[in-house]
Amino acid sequence: MTAAGPSFDRATALRTAGVFVFTAIALLPIGATIMLSLRPRPGGEPALISLQNFRHVFETSLVLDWLGNSLMVSLFTVVAAIIVSAPAGYVISRGRHKVIEGYSLLLFIVQSLPIITAVIPLFILFARLGLADHLGALVIIYVAGSLSVATWMMAAYFDSIPAALEEAAWIDGCSVFGGFVRIVLRNSLPGVLSTAIFTFLLSWNDYLVAIVFLKSDDSFTLPIGLQSFFQQTSTDWGAVMAVSVITMMPPVILFALLNRYFSVGGIGGSLSSQ
Amino acid sequence: MSDRTDPLDVVRAAQGRSGGASRPRTDWSASRGRLFLVLIAPSVLLLALLNAYPVAYAALQSVRNGTLITAGEFVGLANFAKVLQSPDFWHAVRFTAIFTISGVAGSWLIGMALALALQARIHFGGVFKVLLLLPWVVPIVVSSMAWNWLVATPDSPMPALARFLGFGTPLFLADPVLAAVTVCVFKIWCSFPFMMLMMSAALSAIDRSVYEASSLDGASARQQLFYITLPLTRRTTYISWILMTIFCINDFPTIYLLTAGGPIDATTSLIVLAYRLVFQNFQTGPGVAVALMMTAAMVVVSMVLFRQIRKSGATA
Repeated sequence: MTAAGPSFDRATALRTAGVFVFTAIALLPIGATIMLSLRPRPGGEPALISLQNFRHVFETSLVLDWLGNSLMVSLFTVVAAIIVSAPAGYVISRGRHKVIEGYSLLLFIVQSLPIITAVIPLFILFARLGLADHLGALVIIYVAGSLSVATWMMAAYFDSIPAALEEAAWIDGCSVFGGFVRIVLRNSLPGVLSTAIFTFLLSWNDYLVAIVFLKSDDSFTLPIGLQSFFQQTSTDWGAVMAVSVITMMPPVILFALLNRYFSVGGIGGSLSSQ
Repeated sequence: MSDRTDPLDVVRAAQGRSGGASRPRTDWSASRGRLFLVLIAPSVLLLALLNAYPVAYAALQSVRNGTLITAGEFVGLANFAKVLQSPDFWHAVRFTAIFTISGVAGSWLIGMALALALQARIHFGGVFKVLLLLPWVVPIVVSSMAWNWLVATPDSPMPALARFLGFGTPLFLADPVLAAVTVCVFKIWCSFPFMMLMMSAALSAIDRSVYEASSLDGASARQQLFYITLPLTRRTTYISWILMTIFCINDFPTIYLLTAGGPIDATTSLIVLAYRLVFQNFQTGPGVAVALMMTAAMVVVSMVLFRQIRKSGATA
């Protein structure tokens, strides 16, 4: 920390080497996935890398449907989660009342509940309503599942916006609600983005709810589609890994672009099921 | 204020905001109170519909002998008795404990070590930080495929490597003990980036001058770790342990996708047991009873922990 000179540089190099080795080992499974997906198919044109596996899965599986389903579910979940959790986060951030503190505790408890407890009765309920094999059912459950963490994340960001800003707006004749939307929410883009990334990851990666609710293969989301594809073609690793790459691309791209907005980790996502 | 959410702020928010002395306050007034009610109503409704209702429904199911389709008859506490007397349940309790303890300890040790390495001077630190998040960002379904490819059959790369090195041919997913170890290692692999994020945030909040002053006083790196770094990050450590414990106990896909709870039931945790009972053995009553007992335990534990976090928040 304060030392300088050659010994310091050697320590830096050693640390770098250690982290490099760990990273290389830790990323082995992900690297293998990408490499296998880019290998030419048996009987295909020989090449160092090729997209034959991808062409094959697009032609022989419903992967495009699954991709569309996943994108739709995640998009609706993100929008709905923000609409529900931003106002709630505002109340928790600005309100000082026993009831609100109680609600905070309730959110913490709900966060720790095993999702399977909710999934079984909800499956029975949704099956009766004819919504069991329906993507809308997933959206509702994901919004509820991400509620606690999304609300905390929004509240945490609102805390960083001085209440004096809204108060000034009220004096200028702005309504309380107007102050929330036009002053607080408008200045909270990073907080909203962070919450959006979190809910996106949660809904994109979910397995348990989707496996219970989705039965027909054209309504699968990508995780369920990938698993059913694996069960049908378990020896065709090239094709399985091509579907795997398609499944992991959206969250990886999202993270690569927006990770500077995201510093919360999976508080909650896990906070919710994992 | 920086342009992003400080993780500790979220942690503070999760604590019911008792620690934030500097946070903006607004007085509670009747008119604003009404608006607050309207703003929080959707959240409360959703919570009631998708959490309170299912728990109540599950409570009813647990005292009946129904299936997913039929309501069944009232059987009192027979389902609970049946579950508590079955060795499968206690086996699942044991595996859940092993899975949780190893998951929390392993991911924290690795995450903390990486956070410390990245905090100190290191080449390409930013690149490593992003790359090391990948195991956590990649969907579990995808990483379980990759792990399957690496270890599942005797001809997979890892068993082949072991054979090459003269360790025989370990059956990573077919041997009960090895399968349990593999699942725990997989969980640690998925979770260490989360710990790294949490601990990195805590480390960057420590004032560098503390280290400089202690260096001047002749403190060794080891002393700095044990007498400065660990005590000053204690609160985040504690919270991250709590969160990871909850994640591990409630984790379904990490176990199910790799081993489906097998071989036989060697890696069946409580949540996998509940899933198998309901959706594979069609014993809704006992399955729901398992889920409910988990729920009750988690409610008690989280209420105690919530209090403790808030208490530590007041003193930190």
